[in-house]
Amino acid sequence: MTTTTINGRPLVLPDDPDALLIDVIRDGGLTGTKLVCGSGVCGACTVLLDGTPVVSCLLPAQATAGKSLTTIEGVGAAGLHPVQKAFMAHDALQCGFCTSGFVVEATAFHDSWRATKGTATPAREEIAAALSGHLCRCGAYEGIFRAVAEACSGRFDGNDPIAPRLEARDKVTGLACYTVDIHHDGQLEGVILRAHVAHARITGLDLAPARAMAGVAAVVPLLDDDNMIRFVGAPIAAVAASDRRTALKAIAAITFKIEPLPAAIGLDAARRDDAPVVFEKKDRKRAGNVSEGAGGAPVSWKGNVRGPSAPFSHKAKQARHWLDEARAQRNPLLVEETFRVSTQQHASLEPHAAVARFDGDQLTVHISTQAIHESMEKIAKRYGLPHDKVRVIADHVGGGFGSKGSVGLETIAAIELARAAKAPVRVAFDRGEELSVTGYRPAAELKLSLLPSTEGRLKALSLTAHADTGAAVNSLIAGLARLIYPAEAKELVDFDVLSNLPPGAPFRGPGGPPMSFALEQAVDEAALRMKLDPIQLRKRWDPDPNRQRLYDWAAGLDVWKNRKPAGSQQGRYRRGVGVATGYWLYLWQTGSSVELAVKGGRIVASCAVQDIGTGTRSVIANTVAKAFDLEPQDVEVRVGRSNLPRGPGSGGSRVTASVVPPTLLAIDKLKAEIRRTASRTPAPGSNAPWREMIAASPDVSVSARRQEDGKPPPGVRPALHEAGIMGRVFGWVLRLMNHMVVGAGVPSSVQVMEVEVDTWLGHVRVLNAYTGLAIGKLAAPALARSQAAGAVIQGIGYALYEARETDPSSGHILSGSMEDYRIPGIADMPKLDVHFDEAGFEHVPGGSVGIGEVATVPTSPAIANAIRDAIGVRLTEIPFRPDRLVAALKGRDAA
Amino acid sequence: MSVAVMTAEPVPEFRAGGTDFSERRRSGVSQGMLIDISGTGSKAITWDADGSAQIGALTTIATIAADARIAAGYPGLAASAQGLATPQVRQVATLGGNLAQRSRCWYFRRADIDCLKKSGSTCPARSGNHLYGVAFDLGPCVAPHPSTMAAALLAYDATIVTDRRSGLTIAGLLGDGSISHADHALAAGEMIQSIALPAPLEGERASYRRAISRSHAEWPLVELCARVIVADGKFQLVRLAAGGVAPVPLRLTAAEVALHGRIANAASIAEAAKAATSGAKPLPMTAYKLDLLQGLVRDVLERIAD
Repeated sequence: MTTTTINGRPLVLPDDPDALLIDVIRDGGLTGTKLVCGSGVCGACTVLLDGTPVVSCLLPAQATAGKSLTTIEGVGAAGLHPVQKAFMAHDALQCGFCTSGFVVEATAFHDSWRATKGTATPAREEIAAALSGHLCRCGAYEGIFRAVAEACSGRFDGNDPIAPRLEARDKVTGLACYTVDIHHDGQLEGVILRAHVAHARITGLDLAPARAMAGVAAVVPLLDDDNMIRFVGAPIAAVAASDRRTALKAIAAITFKIEPLPAAIGLDAARRDDAPVVFEKKDRKRAGNVSEGAGGAPVSWKGNVRGPSAPFSHKAKQARHWLDEARAQRNPLLVEETFRVSTQQHASLEPHAAVARFDGDQLTVHISTQAIHESMEKIAKRYGLPHDKVRVIADHVGGGFGSKGSVGLETIAAIELARAAKAPVRVAFDRGEELSVTGYRPAAELKLSLLPSTEGRLKALSLTAHADTGAAVNSLIAGLARLIYPAEAKELVDFDVLSNLPPGAPFRGPGGPPMSFALEQAVDEAALRMKLDPIQLRKRWDPDPNRQRLYDWAAGLDVWKNRKPAGSQQGRYRRGVGVATGYWLYLWQTGSSVELAVKGGRIVASCAVQDIGTGTRSVIANTVAKAFDLEPQDVEVRVGRSNLPRGPGSGGSRVTASVVPPTLLAIDKLKAEIRRTASRTPAPGSNAPWREMIAASPDVSVSARRQEDGKPPPGVRPALHEAGIMGRVFGWVLRLMNHMVVGAGVPSSVQVMEVEVDTWLGHVRVLNAYTGLAIGKLAAPALARSQAAGAVIQGIGYALYEARETDPSSGHILSGSMEDYRIPGIADMPKLDVHFDEAGFEHVPGGSVGIGEVATVPTSPAIANAIRDAIGVRLTEIPFRPDRLVAALKGRDAA
Repeated sequence: MSVAVMTAEPVPEFRAGGTDFSERRRSGVSQGMLIDISGTGSKAITWDADGSAQIGALTTIATIAADARIAAGYPGLAASAQGLATPQVRQVATLGGNLAQRSRCWYFRRADIDCLKKSGSTCPARSGNHLYGVAFDLGPCVAPHPSTMAAALLAYDATIVTDRRSGLTIAGLLGDGSISHADHALAAGEMIQSIALPAPLEGERASYRRAISRSHAEWPLVELCARVIVADGKFQLVRLAAGGVAPVPLRLTAAEVALHGRIANAASIAEAAKAATSGAKPLPMTAYKLDLLQGLVRDVLERIAD
């Protein structure tokens, strides 16, 4: 028998030589240590082994025999470590799923730094190197840099700080409980059997061999009723067993016959005339959906190509005519280019996960979800249960980015297995599943033509997008180009190209970054040809009042004013500066409700909304605290439970604008109620009359629903109004089908990027990023800044590193691990300047709209324009990896 | 990292630090018996009177990266150790395991795809997606050898001691690139015990650099360890060992020859960079690696020739 010591307590190690430390730690109830990549890349599972950080996901448990382990729970056991306090104070976290690993590593760095260097401040590069074995998908790196530097310099040796994020303490101590951490007595582990072929018919599915195995409690089929497989990884069946290893053995025992069919893999193969068809006409309703809203008008669909869909075109024939004419006349101002964007995986650090449990006829499901209330409704509908018999819970969600907006397979499998097994079941996807079958932002080919008039106005624009949607439909990329830069004529056409790849899904501003990547480069190119300052050209072509103010801010930046003439550099390292603009719709969800109560002398705010790292708890707490002259920590915020008053889903950047207005209404009601029921008024001259009245108040409760916005000032319109009657129709459909309202005013972002290109090694580094945002008043300023920074680094990943790789014939996803799917690390984070322009949304109660999506839209084209500025060559395909850089510099096609 | 031998009949695999090994166990690529050797071998760096060093196979990469005497005598080795994987992995990964680790090929690392290294009959990467494949196509498998330390040891003329033999060169250990079923040329069950480094030469300098897309923690697209002696302004000794470009670490002999006796300046280095790709045979998707190799030769040599 071998033992180790963990957080000071002895622990007997399993005899199994294959047992890994992470499982021993988590099975022992210390769930602050997270399993993410399982391959030693992301560092979320980092623990201290005799004081040294190691990754527990790879470490054999027996290698710790006779040694001493410290997990995140042990780090703060005797009072918060200065690093934990610094992480809280600097908001060095968002969803929190990577936080334990970062904190553990940073404490080791801090302690050894302090021992040798006292209170000197470590350089940014030293911190980056020390934390290079960690990844954060929300992109909290900016706060992490500040936190580690200031902890090392001794700034946090004293009292515990007040954190701008309400739940920060739980996240830096590892106590925050995520869906994957849920453990009920008798809980089983569910695993899904998936197809290894891209296109096939399955017959003779026999679940009996799995059912017969010891330790197996339930086996359920998951095949669609047409028995078809349309992508590698399509589900066939699921098993619940006493542990994961038994479940894996059981799925391997399931037998079936495969009738393989020819497959079409990816955009180019799928649109060939002789390509195998993914969905026959009768099966088209089975395709997934890559957009946040429901589909609009019916669209033609031939073979694997669904489209053209062009509701937002405007005088398309005229646009075509002018562009043909300009082409024939070799008009030097005509910009024509084909752009390509790659598939972007959400790569949330918490995988898709659900834990289902039946207590009699009451179903409780913990889900890592972006939509607890809607999930409850959909589950109730699917299984014919009344709403009050389904409870969906998500206290903390380890990232979503759009991929966790609907009731997914993990949830369905967990529920069906729990029902069959009559026991609680957890289904948590592994990293390979997470990086292949849980959705993605589709790659696309974008053909663009842009024609300025002789007077320097924007005359005609044509954009045709073919999106690589896999087994899904409803991409909207080109159409989004209607809502910015009014032109005399626009032809905007979207196609879905379906193929035998997993279905795409909504991803942070669906369609926005690809559209912006093409359009913003074209505008930049037009400015070059017109010999105009690119910001001044945007000011001329883009009348939006919010962006007009942001253009003035950008034009005043020193980095912009002092940039070198384009293409003037010759050395190995060349620097460039680029600008781009972006927008997103201002959305809010009808029916969003907030309850405010006084319970036991304390204010409690409740809403069935989820906090996926975006800071919803803090937004509500700040709003309430301000009205009652309290500290946010004085307000108890209850979210993450579907049986609270109906809240919005976390998608379309709609949460803040959906919950703040009803909170304000509820505040007025609660004030009235407290005054009405008060037995005495506060002492005259009291410094804190509301605090006193709340403390003395009997328990009372009020609630309010999201009200309509006030009347916007002249010229402030919903973004969709740019698209005329079709835009209004689109807006009505959104309101009726999705309960989403497109409000007046356009959330906007203008970004300026400074890059350095190493022309020898094809390496691009973003040195400085400047992001200007018009999203109204900041409901939680520190958290808005975190979101802005995270959006930029995610955009940098999109521009420079991230690409899904597939096998072109078998359809296997080859980039199914975190080392092959490359998200940015801390050293890739540029220095950042965030500018918030808080005007423009005064007609919204509270004045705040969402930030999540708009903040990431213009990053990739701003980087592209900066690279063009540095090297004189325009790269048209992302990611701008070294292979593409060196090829572009030599004028050769990249792989 | 683990020592691994896989053939049609899986023989037991050795596990040292367990980094690469554990990942392949989790994914199901490795399923046979395991023999844990972490408690059985040398973890020490020992020095002889002539200044030569022996590094025990179980010495961790972090130990090598932090050792002051290694940094002084074999700076290219120290820099290679500092540049690979992540800080946490370097703490447990061993030198022996690094040499004997398995391929990073996407296809090899998927349990549900057959390949030459998993007793399959073809290389699916050759006809499929080989973006990170070799640019010197020397054998049936198109994956570059993953060991950063092997390239550095090649530059230092190191030899390997196993439980059966000594004096094994890096080429003897890893083969000439024509082995299709394994990532090394050891016999089944043969175990690396230590690595012997000849004494550093008077006045030698060295440097290491990898070309990657991000800033840190990424498998190299191309990497280069260079050792030189510059005397009287001329290159007297040049050793260039490249990783990421071939099924085995590669000495860039044409570039070495091009520099020998030449004045150390940007012009001679640029010529050597051109010569570095001689004999290259890129795949359809890997021609870019030759540009990166040329860039690395210039980068590394200009830094140490200064």
